[in-house]
Amino acid sequence: MISATTALPSGRRRDRAALTVLTVWHAALCVLLMAGALATLASASALDLLTIALAVVQALLALGSATAAALILRRNHLGRTLSLVVNYVLFLACLIGLAHVLGLFMGLDDLADYMARGVPFLMGALFIVGYFVAATELRERPVPVARRTLGQVLMTIGAIGFALTAGVVPALASIPGKYVSSGLLPLALTAGAVVLGYMLWSMWRGESARAMGAKNIHSERLNGWLFLSPNLLGFTLFFAGPLLFSLYVSFTNWDSFNKRDWVGLDNYRRMFNLTVQPLAAPDQPANQAMDVQVYDELFRVNLLGQSYLIGAEDKRFWISLRNTLVFGLLAVPLAVVPALLLATLLNSRLPGMRIYRTLYFIPSVAAVVGVALIWQWMYNSQVGWINYFITSAVNLINSVFGTNIKDPQIRWLADSDYALLSVVIMSAWQWLGFNTVLFLAGLQTIPRELYEAATVDGANPRQQFFNVTLPMLAPTTLYVLITTTIQALQVFDQVFIVSNGTGGPGTSTLTMTLNLYQNGFQSFRQGYASALAWVLFVVIFAFTLFQFRRQRRASGAYDL
Amino acid sequence: MKTTYRLIGLMAVAGLTLSACAAPVAPPAQPAQPAQPTQPAATEAPAAAAEISLRWRTRPDNKEEADVYASISDEVAQKLGIKLTYEPGGSETASYQDVLRTELAAGTAPDVFWIPGTDIADFVQRGLLLDLRPYANATEGYSDSNYYPEPMFHLTYNPATGKTGEVLWGLPRDVSTFVLYLNLDLINEAGAPDPRELAKEGKWDWAAFKEVAEKVNALGSDIKGYGMNAWWGPFGAFMNAAGGGFFNAERNACNLNSKESLEGLAFARSLYDAGVAVPYGEDSEPPFRAGKVGMFQNGRWATPGISTVTFNWDVVELPKGPSGHMGNWLFWGAYVVNKNTKHPEAAWKVVDALTQPDIQAKVAARGTNIPSRVGEAVFAEFLKIMPEKNNQAFLNGLADKPTAEGPLWTGSWPDFDKAMSAKVSDVLTGKLSVEDFGKTICDEAGKAFNK
Repeated sequence: MISATTALPSGRRRDRAALTVLTVWHAALCVLLMAGALATLASASALDLLTIALAVVQALLALGSATAAALILRRNHLGRTLSLVVNYVLFLACLIGLAHVLGLFMGLDDLADYMARGVPFLMGALFIVGYFVAATELRERPVPVARRTLGQVLMTIGAIGFALTAGVVPALASIPGKYVSSGLLPLALTAGAVVLGYMLWSMWRGESARAMGAKNIHSERLNGWLFLSPNLLGFTLFFAGPLLFSLYVSFTNWDSFNKRDWVGLDNYRRMFNLTVQPLAAPDQPANQAMDVQVYDELFRVNLLGQSYLIGAEDKRFWISLRNTLVFGLLAVPLAVVPALLLATLLNSRLPGMRIYRTLYFIPSVAAVVGVALIWQWMYNSQVGWINYFITSAVNLINSVFGTNIKDPQIRWLADSDYALLSVVIMSAWQWLGFNTVLFLAGLQTIPRELYEAATVDGANPRQQFFNVTLPMLAPTTLYVLITTTIQALQVFDQVFIVSNGTGGPGTSTLTMTLNLYQNGFQSFRQGYASALAWVLFVVIFAFTLFQFRRQRRASGAYDL
Repeated sequence: MKTTYRLIGLMAVAGLTLSACAAPVAPPAQPAQPAQPTQPAATEAPAAAAEISLRWRTRPDNKEEADVYASISDEVAQKLGIKLTYEPGGSETASYQDVLRTELAAGTAPDVFWIPGTDIADFVQRGLLLDLRPYANATEGYSDSNYYPEPMFHLTYNPATGKTGEVLWGLPRDVSTFVLYLNLDLINEAGAPDPRELAKEGKWDWAAFKEVAEKVNALGSDIKGYGMNAWWGPFGAFMNAAGGGFFNAERNACNLNSKESLEGLAFARSLYDAGVAVPYGEDSEPPFRAGKVGMFQNGRWATPGISTVTFNWDVVELPKGPSGHMGNWLFWGAYVVNKNTKHPEAAWKVVDALTQPDIQAKVAARGTNIPSRVGEAVFAEFLKIMPEKNNQAFLNGLADKPTAEGPLWTGSWPDFDKAMSAKVSDVLTGKLSVEDFGKTICDEAGKAFNK
C-alpha cells in the first residue's frame, strides 16, 4: 500500500513542508511576541500610555500570528494574508531598527555631502548617455544588440562610479566595526530580518498561494495593499502616530527631558481658566480685585454702569487667540478678494498676460523668511521705502495744494497698533499670487456658452460677473477660502521673523502658533504646547466646518 | 535588460543608503603644519585618543568668525590628537538655543557647545550639563580666578547646596559689554560736546547724554540722537544705572517695581517721549549705519559691522546714572559639555583648550568679542584691536561694577523675560505709563519665580 504522502508529487510535498514550517513559525512568533509584550510591561518603571501602547501592539501582532497559524493549518487563504501582514510589518521593523542601530539616520546629514560628489557622476554623461544608447529606438527599429550592450556597460560604469564617489567603500568598511561595537542587537536584528524575509517570500510565492486556496482576486488585493503600504505605514508612523502622541502629551507635563507625569485636563484647565470680578471703581488695582498670584489682568469692561475685571491664568493664550482671529479676519479677505479680481483681469486675452501671471505668482514661490526680511526693511520707519513714499506723497500734496497734512511717520513694526496689520499686508501680498492662479484655473473651466447666453439675455459685464462667474467659481472659492483660512490661523514664519520670535511689540503679534512654539521649544513645556496645538486644531476645524456648512446652504452641494 | 536595470538601480540605491552610514566627509587637505610643542600628559592611551571623535558648536556672529572657529577647531584637534568637528550654530535670530535644546531632547546634540549665560540654570536644572569640576581639578594650571568672577559665580553654582565653587558647569567663551557707538560727524555738525571728552572729564552722565542726543536730533526730522534695540539689555542698563535692576539681591524675587528701576525706565521713556530715540522696536543699526543716528547703544559684537561705515565713528562708555555707575552689563556665554558625551575627559580638554589665551586672542582679533580671561597681559592685547584709539571704553564698562547677565536659579528666565519685555515695550512705545507698569509688573513677572 502506498501512503498518501509518498503518492504526492515532490513539489506538493515541498509546499506542504513549507506551510508546516510557516505554521510552526507563527506559533513560535506568537509566543515570542507575547513574551515581548509582558517584558515591556514588566520592565517599565511606571506604566504610562506609551508603554501600554507598545505592549498592545505586540499583543495584537501575537494574536495575528496565532490566528495565522491556525488558519494556515486549515488552509484558509485569510491565514496567508495575516501571515504576510505580520511578517511584513515585523520585517520592516527589523530593517528600520537595524538602520537606527547602525546610525543610518544619523548619517543623513553627511549624505548631503556625499550626494554632492556622487550625483554629478550619476547624472553625468556615462549614466544618461548609457541609457539613451541602450534604450532609444530609431525609427521604430529595435536597438541593435551591440549598441544595447554598449549602453549597459556605460550605465554600469556610471552606477559604479556613483556608488564609489557616494562613499560605498568607506560605508562598507565601517559597517563591521559598527556590528562589533554595538553588541548583539545588530546581529539579532539582521537575523530577524533574514528569517522574516524568508518567511515572507515563502508565503508570497505562487505555490504557497495555490496551496492556501488563494484566488487571483486575493493576490490582486494583496498587491494593491502592498503598493499602498509605504504610504499607509508612512502616514501611521509620521502623521497619525505623532498626532496621537501629541494628544497623549497634552495630558502630561512633559518637558522633553525628564518629567512626564499624567496631569489629566490640567493643561486645558489652565488655558481656559478665567475670572470675572466686579470692580468698586473702574481704575481699581487688579491686585485688590483678584488673586494676582494666579491670574493676570486680561481686560476691563463696563456693563450697565458696572465695571468688571477679566483675568486669565494664561493671559498669553487669550491674547494669541485674539491676535490669530484678528489676523485671519483681515488677511483672508485681503488675500482672496483681490486675487479674484486680479484673476478676472488676467483671464483676458490681452498680449503679455502670461508674463503678468508669472509675475504675480513669484511671491508665492519666494521663501517666507526672505520675503519677511525684505518687508522688515521696507517697514523701517526711519530708512524704509514705505515711509519714504508716504513722506514724498505728503510733501507733494502739501506743495501742490498748499495743504498742511502731517507726515504720519508710521512705525509699522514698532507700534503695537500697526504691527499686526503690517504682518497682514505682508502675508496677504505673499498669498495673493497663489490664490490668483487657483481662481484663474477656475475661471478657465467656465464654459463660454454661459457668457454668450447671458449676453443674448442682455446681461451687462457686472451682471455676468455676479450671476455667472461667481456661482460657477463657488467650488474654487470654497477651496481658496478654506486653504487661506487655515494658512492664516497657522501663521508663524512671518511673525517669528518680524518680531524676532517675541510676538512683539508688546504682545501685538503673538499668534497661537508662536505661543505654542515659545511654550514648546523655549520654555520646554511640551505638554502645555501640545494642548495649545489641539485647541488650535479645534479652532481651525470649527472654521472649516462653518465654511463647508455655509457653502452647502448656499449651493446645496459639498456635503461634509 | 530588465535585470540589468534592476541591478544598476539597486547599486544606486545601495550607494545612497550605505553612504549615510559612512564616516563624515573628510575636510580638505591642510597644508603641512610645523612640529607641535610637547603635548600635556594624556590620561587616555594614545591609541584610544586617536579614536575619540567629538563635535562642538558655537554661535558665530558672521561668516568670518565661523571661519576662525573652524581653523581653531583644527588646531585644537591636532593639539589634543582627537577628531574634532566644528558645527557653526545659527545666528541669534535663527533660534540657536531652541535648536540646541531640541537636539538635546533628541539625543543628537554635540559633545561641547556654547550657551548664553542666561541659559545656564535652565540647562543645569534639566540635568543636561556635565559637572567638569573633577576634570578641572586634575588639570595643571587651571584656576577659576583666571576668568571674570561674575560669570564664574554662576558657572560654579551648585543649585543643590546653594553654594558656589563646588561644581563647574563650563568656562566662559568671552565677555562683552555695552558702549555707545558714536557718529562723530553728526555730533560735530550739531555742535554737541564730544562724549569721549566728557567721559574723560568725569562729566558723562545722563544729563550730558540727553543733551548730546537732543542736539543731534535737532539736525533734521530724519536724524535721531540715540538708538537702542528692543531686548532686555538696553533698558536693563538704564534700570541698573539708576540703582535698580531686574531682581532683588538674592535673585529670587522681582525688583522691577522698585523706585530705582522705575526711575531708570522713566528716563528711557523720556528719550522716546522727546522723540530723540529711534522708535522702540525698530532695529537701530540700519539707520545708524546709514548715518542717521548720533549714538547707538550696542555690545562689542556690533564692532565689525560698524567698522565698515563711511563716517567718522568711535565708541564711548555708557553715561553714569543716578547711582554713580553706568549700570552696564557683563554679557557672557560659556562652553559646556553635554552630559551624555561618550568622552567626558576629552570634552573637558576641548573646553579648556578653547578658552586658552592664544585661542581667545584669535577670536577677539575679529573684533566681536572680549576675552573672558582677566589679567594685564590680556587687557593689553585686547587694546590693540579696533577701534584702537578708544578700545578702553569696553574695559571701563567691565570695570564699573557691571551686572552679570545671569541665569535665574530659582525661576524661569524665559517666562520672566517674556512678561517683562512685553510690558517694557508698552511703556517705551507710549502705551503704558511707568506708574501703571510699576503697579502690575511684579504680579506678572514674579510668577516666573514660582515655576
